[in-house]
Parts: sequence; structure tokens; C-alpha cells
Amino acid sequence: MIDLLGLVPAILRVSTPLILAGLGVHVSSRAGVLNIGIEGMMLAGALAGVVVSALTQNVWLGLAAALVSGAVLAAMLSGAIHLLRADLILSGIALNMAAIAGTTLGLFALTGDKGISGSLPSLVLPSLTIPLIENIPILGPILSGHNILTYAALLAVPLVALLVTRTPLGLAMRAVGENPEAAAATGIPVLRVQVTALLISGLFAGAAGAFLSMGYVSWFSQNMTAGRGFIALAADVMGFGYAWGTLAAALLLGATEAITLSLQGFGVPSELLQAIPYLVPVLAMVIHARRRKLHEDD
Amino acid sequence: MIRNALAEAALTVAVVIAVVALVLVPLALTQPDPMGVVTTFLFGPFRNLRYLGNIVELATPSMFCGLAVALILRAGMFNLGVEGAFFLGGLGTVAAALLLPLPAPLLAPAALLVGAVVGSSVCVVPGVLRARYGASELVSSLMLNFAALFIGLYVLNVLLRDPAAGAMVSFKIPADAKLPKLIEGNRIHLGTLLALLACGLGAVYLFRTAGGFESRIVGANPNFAGHLGLAVRNIGLRAQVIGGLIAALGGGIEMLGLYQRFSWQALPGNGWTGVTVAILARDHPALVIPAALFLGWMQVGGDLVARNFDVPNEAVGLMQALLLVTVTAAALTRNPKLLRAFGARTGASA
Amino acid sequence: MSDRPLIRFEQVSKTYPNGTVALSDVGFAVEAGTIHAICGENGAGKSTLMKILSGLEAPTSGGLAIDGLPVRIDNPRAAAALGIGMVHQHFSLIGGLSVTENILLGQEPRHGPFVDRAKARARVLDLASRYSLDVDPDATLSTLSVAAQQKVEILKALSRDTRILILDEPTAVLSPPETEELFRRLVALREQGLTILFISHKLKEVRELAQRVTTMRAGRVSGDAAMSDVSDDAIARLVMGEATTSTIVRPEPQSGTPRIAVCGLTLRARDANDRLDAIHLDIRPGEILGIAGVDGSGQRGLVKVLAGSRRPDAGTISWDGEPVVGERTGALRRRGLAHLPADRFRDGGSRRLTLTENALAGAHRGYRFGPLLRPRAMVERTRAIIDTFGVRCPGPLAPLGALSGGNAQKIIAAREFGTNPRFLIADQPTRGIDVAAANFIQDQIVALARSGCAVLLLSADLDELLRLSTRVSVLYAGRLVATFPNSPDLTPARLGPYMLGLEVAA
Repeated sequence: MIDLLGLVPAILRVSTPLILAGLGVHVSSRAGVLNIGIEGMMLAGALAGVVVSALTQNVWLGLAAALVSGAVLAAMLSGAIHLLRADLILSGIALNMAAIAGTTLGLFALTGDKGISGSLPSLVLPSLTIPLIENIPILGPILSGHNILTYAALLAVPLVALLVTRTPLGLAMRAVGENPEAAAATGIPVLRVQVTALLISGLFAGAAGAFLSMGYVSWFSQNMTAGRGFIALAADVMGFGYAWGTLAAALLLGATEAITLSLQGFGVPSELLQAIPYLVPVLAMVIHARRRKLHEDD
Repeated sequence: MIRNALAEAALTVAVVIAVVALVLVPLALTQPDPMGVVTTFLFGPFRNLRYLGNIVELATPSMFCGLAVALILRAGMFNLGVEGAFFLGGLGTVAAALLLPLPAPLLAPAALLVGAVVGSSVCVVPGVLRARYGASELVSSLMLNFAALFIGLYVLNVLLRDPAAGAMVSFKIPADAKLPKLIEGNRIHLGTLLALLACGLGAVYLFRTAGGFESRIVGANPNFAGHLGLAVRNIGLRAQVIGGLIAALGGGIEMLGLYQRFSWQALPGNGWTGVTVAILARDHPALVIPAALFLGWMQVGGDLVARNFDVPNEAVGLMQALLLVTVTAAALTRNPKLLRAFGARTGASA
Repeated sequence: MSDRPLIRFEQVSKTYPNGTVALSDVGFAVEAGTIHAICGENGAGKSTLMKILSGLEAPTSGGLAIDGLPVRIDNPRAAAALGIGMVHQHFSLIGGLSVTENILLGQEPRHGPFVDRAKARARVLDLASRYSLDVDPDATLSTLSVAAQQKVEILKALSRDTRILILDEPTAVLSPPETEELFRRLVALREQGLTILFISHKLKEVRELAQRVTTMRAGRVSGDAAMSDVSDDAIARLVMGEATTSTIVRPEPQSGTPRIAVCGLTLRARDANDRLDAIHLDIRPGEILGIAGVDGSGQRGLVKVLAGSRRPDAGTISWDGEPVVGERTGALRRRGLAHLPADRFRDGGSRRLTLTENALAGAHRGYRFGPLLRPRAMVERTRAIIDTFGVRCPGPLAPLGALSGGNAQKIIAAREFGTNPRFLIADQPTRGIDVAAANFIQDQIVALARSGCAVLLLSADLDELLRLSTRVSVLYAGRLVATFPNSPDLTPARLGPYMLGLEVAA
């Protein structure tokens, strides 16, 4: 029997990096910049968090370092596409390649080990237990006791939704993303808006990475993002352009992964289950595209 | 006109040299013997036949993947399923080699054929979704790479796994299916010749056949293709099918040429190298050959440096990433001032 | 006329970097509180002039004065600061945003870090009531009808303390009742003191709305008068220009039975240039049917349907008696369709491919040896084309992008004509190319007709139409309003009233 309620904490835990990275993709997509490099930005954040928290023995500095490194890589991506005028998708691919190579190099330089950062005394982001709520039967363990970044991710969703729908920056981003010429004619600084969106995207990616290496597990291992950035891309596509949609998609995909992990004890082949989080987005894309096509043929 | 093309090529080469230097020099300076690092990296691979052989071995799968990406990009599609196709092609080929009851001369070709068809699905499915529903082949192919990995690992575990071996690897690939070696004392196998042949055929297809021409028209200007009455969506799909088959074939050939058992536990990364190769080759199948050899040279150089000095070979990954960005950077490679510095004549004639 | 007009253009000239002269010494004045119409065909320069006024372009020489003070309008923001608002022909709105968000984009009222939605809404409602343009402030723009969207576009233009409103072909997207409504609003705006510049080629509307009209032709002002001082015919003549005395070529039809017969062809679309309303026409082999019409009268829709890239909503098309509705471009090409497209670099070729590839695309399957193409034969053929057509180029392997417009068009024409077509659609075949190349292409079109091809010629150049056509039909607002046999007394002045919507042939 699968303990469904018991799964909720697991689902939230697995979904956290997807939600954070998904929000990052969401923001930059609104401004018309598809951030393929989100995977690499997450990886960089994961390493930065581990390294800085180990060096400073301060978990918050580690988190800050993760955020900053995500933003720095986002700035580099912006430099590639806006200054060098390189192709957006290829630059994202290049960023991912560079991140895999760079983080392995960095890890090796610091620990002499390419595979895992076990030797570094990195810290772990704390979990929050909410007094009173934790004592509620059944609901208590579901609502309380999660990692602080999990709460942050869930809080971030309405904040991002507000940013995109209710702030001048958000409006500017949506205008730029849909019709840059019309936006420019209104006086909106298109380039600045796109760079800002990318930087925000990088911050979220860094946070997602920090959760991986400082919450999900407590170390950095080579290429530990394992395609989660790409899943976040898919979550944004499935979200139809709404922050809440991205949340729902991320939770769905996280749930499939969590159920996968729990079903592993039951003789269902684990590899097949692991394929499911990657197949669901494709299915969703087909359904979405089919519906759009039916509407178009008028 | 030839002058302009040469100037572009010269500029590209200059950019490549600059990138290599940009990564290599700082890395070398971190070592007590920087000159040693640089000379080992650049010239070490030419020191003996074995290292040269390594360049060729590494270049072979890159040629297949690079050719696949080049053909797909030429048709204007952005299908990145080459990575998964390569993996699944390798697995499918090994599975077929183990399961098909065929005699020696037939086993390898049959296994490769099965592997190619099975592996190509990673590119074909996104292609069909694009052709029929207009869904982005980029995101769907990225997803399917991982789906192919896990489904493949499942098949490995359930069907092909050798319980006698310690790790999760397949049974030994039957000798009957192995590709013959070409040079004594080396691991270079028939697959290399096949790769060269494939690139040559790819060039012929793209530039000397009606199908390839139509593919290039679609990639160069889809509006123009529609104006001519070409079946734009089908042509795009066809390019992705062909690309998928080639990449999957590459994976199969890699298995039958170099491996004793199927042992990939993760996506091997040849697809991404293929993207770099294709970009360096400007999507030209014939240029894929020198581009793949160049990257192979870089990779062997990196391995040698890693072995003899304390520098990990990930530096080559950084180089690849930088190359990908700079070679496509229009601000650099199509910069009129830089082009003129390399001898181009500007301005349209007439 | 007062001596302090609100807007004065002073010898404004604009030459683009590629050499095109858009405006030459344009000078006239606009009185405050009037509706001032600007009439001209496409290419006359009226859009360029309005772009200069609204800050999207800068003049090469000459200047503007607003309220007597010389100004430089460097960007749209500067224009807005001077009180100039523009309603574009193709709206500059964002479909995914709400009406309020669109109207106040870039100048939203704030409440801390957020947009003050209540204030914004109130501002929009206030604007709407002040100008009597009712809109639903919360609706998402993409859900609105075109006429409603235009109201939003107008409010957007009025939202910044506007005193000068520019409207570019505003009725192109409206139905007759919507047009009436718009006119009522514009008159009301004028009565509130706004100055309105109204660009249009529809003379009936100009007569109804404007107090003064300036006509432009080929980048210059051809006339400037109060509406009460000038007749419709005079305006038409000023817009169309006088006939030039070039000899009419007029190939004769070679058979009584039409090759192409179109009946009741209807196409519904958002963009007026795609709309067709029960078109009947036929083209006989050997004749050139010229379509005269101001840009946006439905030419694009006609071409799309006849070339097989769009299905009509109603009506039939037949080739030599066989119905072909529903056949796409590929099938029509196999029947013998050739098409010289209006946007030659978007549709007619690829700048990246070589001349040989551009010249033989589509016919390449005829140059094969087994499965392989024969490059030498293809290059030879291209060399022959370069010779015959007099293409100035580095060679058959040069990219198309290296050629000038005229020479590129020659290659494209060579490709299309070289298939021995049975039906040629020539859409703006000589637009923007030098005289020698233009003459050559025109001769080629006539030669094709003489060899039995049916030709549909669409051209904004009336001289060209009148020189080459066997018959001339006039397209206006998606309808074929007149057809004339070509003769020396068919002049632009005669066509003008039909093209500008004043008359419909019985």
C-alpha cells in the first residue's frame, strides 16, 4: 500500500527544485528569452552553495553564493546573445556544457575529487517546523517540517505571479515578450527588460541548485542536476504562461518522480518509472498543440 | 566571392585559435610547468601512433553525430534528440546482436539496422509532433533523450544484463558482430571508414540530390519553399528522420567497434559533441570530418594533460562551450571590420 | 488661413541609406482644430511623413514646426511629449494584455511596487468617457473585435495629453457601420479641439471628414487645398498623376475560352488586404489582365488564393474548365502556375543560396542523372540566364544576397518564366528596380503572353499597367468594381475614381 499522505512531504521535496527552476524559466520566457541554460545555472548554484557554506561555515552565505552564481551565468548568457549576438539556443547549450565542465573542474580544484564533494564540510539549509501546526494530527507533518527553500518556493509562486501581472516591470516583460517593436514604440527599454528577466531567471536557478546540494542531499556530485533544468523547461510549457500553471506542472512532475521512488520497493522496474517524468511533458505538449491547431484551423 | 568565403573561413579559424588559447593558457599557468602543459596538449597527440589512433576513435562517433545535427540544422529544425538516438542506437544494436540468430557476415549489418531504426525514434517522435501539431521539437527532444535513457536502462537490466559480470552491463557482444579492426596494434575499426563514407554521402545528399536541395531550401527560407510548392513540413520531418538514423547508427557502430559489452549508464554525451562539430563545420557534411578530428585532437590532448599533469580534462568541455558560442556569434564571425581585416571585399557587386 | 498653423512641414526630405528617395521637399501646413486629410497611393510618401512626425524616423533634411516653434522629434516619447499620438494601420497593441494595460503601457500609475489597478482603470474610463470611445477596461485585447481594438489603439494615442492625432488608413479594417461610428467620434474629437491628420485613399471618406486635403505623389506634394475648393475628380487627378505617353503594348488574347475563370471568390480575413468579396474574373490565354487598386484593396488575398496558399471561403476557380479550388501551390505549379511574388526576398528566393540554386529551384528535378543533380548543366543554364537577362553579378555561384534588387528580380523572373507557365501571376514585378531591368522584365512578361500564357498583372505603377495590359480591372475594398479594355483613352484619371472608391461600374 502506498501511503499517499505520507508521500506529500516527499512530493514537495522533490518538486522544490522544479518549482524554483520552473519559475526562473517562466520569468525569462515572459520576456521572450527561452533560457535553455537553466540546467547549467542550477548546477553552478549547487556547487557555489556547497563551497561557500563549507568555507565560511555559514549556510546563508552559501545560499547567497548560489543565487549570485546563477545570476552571473545568466549575465554571461545575456552577453552571448545580446553583445555577441550568438544564437539563443546554442548559447544555452554552451552554457550547460560549460557548467558541467566548470563545476567538475572547480570541484576538483577544491577537493581533488571529481565525483563528489564529500570532503567539504558543507552545510545544509534548515527545515522549518511551525509551532502549533506541527501538532495537528495528519495535516501537521504535511504542512510543517519542510526545508526553508520549499516554503520559499511555494511563497515565490504568488510573488512571481504578482510580479508578472501586477508590476510595471512585469507588464513591460510581457509586452516585450509578445511584440518587442510595439513595446519599444511605447518607450520601454527592451534590452534592459530582457536582461533583467534573465538575471531573475538566474537567481531562481541558483536557488534551485542550492536546494539540490544543500537540502535534498548535502553534497555536490558531478552533474547532479540530471536534467531537472530541462524538466523545468517542460513545466513552463505545460503551465501555459501562468506562474500557477508552472507550479501545478512542477508538482505533477515531482509527484511522478516521488511515486516512482516509493514504488521502487514494489517490483515495478525503477528505470521505467524514472522515464515517466520525461514522457508526461511530451504528452502534455501534444495535447496542447493539438488543441491549438484545432482552434487555428478556422 | 571566393575571397569573401576564404576570409570567413580564416576568421573562423582565428576565433577557434583564440578560444583554445583563452582556455589553455590560464590553465597552463596554474601548473609549475606551463610550457609542458601547452606542448603536451597541442603536440602530444601526434607523438605516437596510439595517440593518433585515439583521435580517430574519438572522432568517429563525433562524425556521425555531427553529420546528423548538420543535416537537421540545414533543414531549419532544432531537434536535439541526437544524444538519445546515439545511446538508444547503441543499445538496440547490442540487443539485436545478442538476440538475432544470424550467421557472422549478416549479424553486424542486421544489428546495426535494428539499432538505427530503434534509436532514431528519439528524433522521429519530436519530428512527427512538429510536423503534425506544430509542437516545439526542441523541448520534446530534450525530454525524450532522458526517456530513452531510462527505457534503455530498463531493457538493459531486464533483457541484456549479464548476471555473471559485476556491474550493470550486458552480455558480451558476440565476436561475430564485432566490426573488424583496420590497423594492427590499434583500435581503429571499420566504423571509421563508415563514418567517412557517411559524411561523404551526406555531402552528396545535401548538395547533389533533389531531396537534399529541397531540404536546404526549407532551412534557408521556409517562405520561399512554400512559394515553390514544396511540402515544407514533410521535408523538415524527413531531415529529422535521417538525422536520427545516422546518430543511432553511430551509436551502434561505436558499440560494435570499440566495446566488449554495453556499459553506458548515462547519456554518453556524443550528441552534444556532435552539436559542436556541426557548428564548427558550418553544417557542411564534408567539413564535419576535419571538425570532428579537430575536436578529437583537443580531447586527446586534454586526456594527456590530465594524465601527466594535475589538470582535469574538463578544460576541453569548456573549450567546446566557448567554441559553440563564439563561432555562431554574428557579432564576431559576421563582423564587417574583422572580415575586412582578413581580406574580404565588402559591398554587393552590380 | 491663420498665420500660425499648428503643424508646418518645411521642405522635408528623406532618403534611405539604400538610395530610395521617400520624400522630396515636402512642405505644407496643418491648421489647429481641423481634420486634415493626406491622400496618395502607396509609395507616395505619406507613411514616411507620418513616421517622421511621430518620431519613428528622422528627416534627411528639412524640418518641422509645432505651434510656430521648430522641433526635432527624435523618438516616440518626444512625439508624445509634444502631444502627438499616432494610430497605426497595423495596431501596436499587445494581445496578451488587458485594454487598460495596453492603453497605459509605459505610463502606469503606481502604488508602491505595483501598478495601481484601480487608478489605471479609472483613468481609462475617464479617457473613454471624455472621448466617447467606450471600451471594456478589463477585457483581454486579443478577445476584442478589430473595431474595438482600434478604439483601444485610439485611446492609447490620446492618453498622453494629445492635441494632434494621426490616423493611418483607419477604415481599412472596419465595416461600413463601424466606419460611420469612427467618423462620428473623429468629428466629436475635432469639436473638442483636437487636430486630426487622416491618411486615406478613400476619397468618399476624405470628402466627408476633412476640411483640407494635401495630395502626395512620388514623394512630393502634388496638391494642397481646402476641400471646398477642389472637386473629387481634381483630387483623383492629383493623386494619380497624368498619363505618360508610352506606347501601349496590349497583347491580344489567343482564344475566346478563358484559361483561368474565377467565380464568386470570397475570402474573409482580419486584414483588409486579404479580403475578397464575390470576385468574378477570367483571363484568356495570351492576354494580360491588369489589376489596378490602391494598396490594401484585396490584392494580397487574390494572389494568395490564386497561388494556392489559401483556400477561399466561397467561390470557384477553374483552369481550362477544370475546377481547382483546394489545390495547393505544389499541385497548381504542376498545372503550369508561375508566380513572381511582391516580396521578392521573403518569398521569391533565398539570399543565402546561390544564383544557380535560386534560378533552378523547383525545376531542379529536371536536371538529374539518376538520383544525382547535374551541377554543370545547372551552372550552364544559369550562365545562359545571366547572359540573356543581363544580370550583373559576380557569377553563377554568388549568393543571391550579393545582387541588387533589380538583378535579383531578374533571376527570380528567369526561374518563374523558365517553366513555360500557362498562368503567370506577376505581383509588383518592377517595384523598386532600375529602369533597364524593369523594361526587360516587362518585355519578358509580354513575350510570355504572346506565347499563350495567361497573365495576371498586379501593379501599383499605373503606367506599367496601362502600357502592358489587354484589359484593366479595378479592385477596391475586396470587390472588382470595374473592368475596361485597354486603350489610349484609359488614363489614370479615368481609373482614379474607381480606385478611390468614388464610383462603381454598372
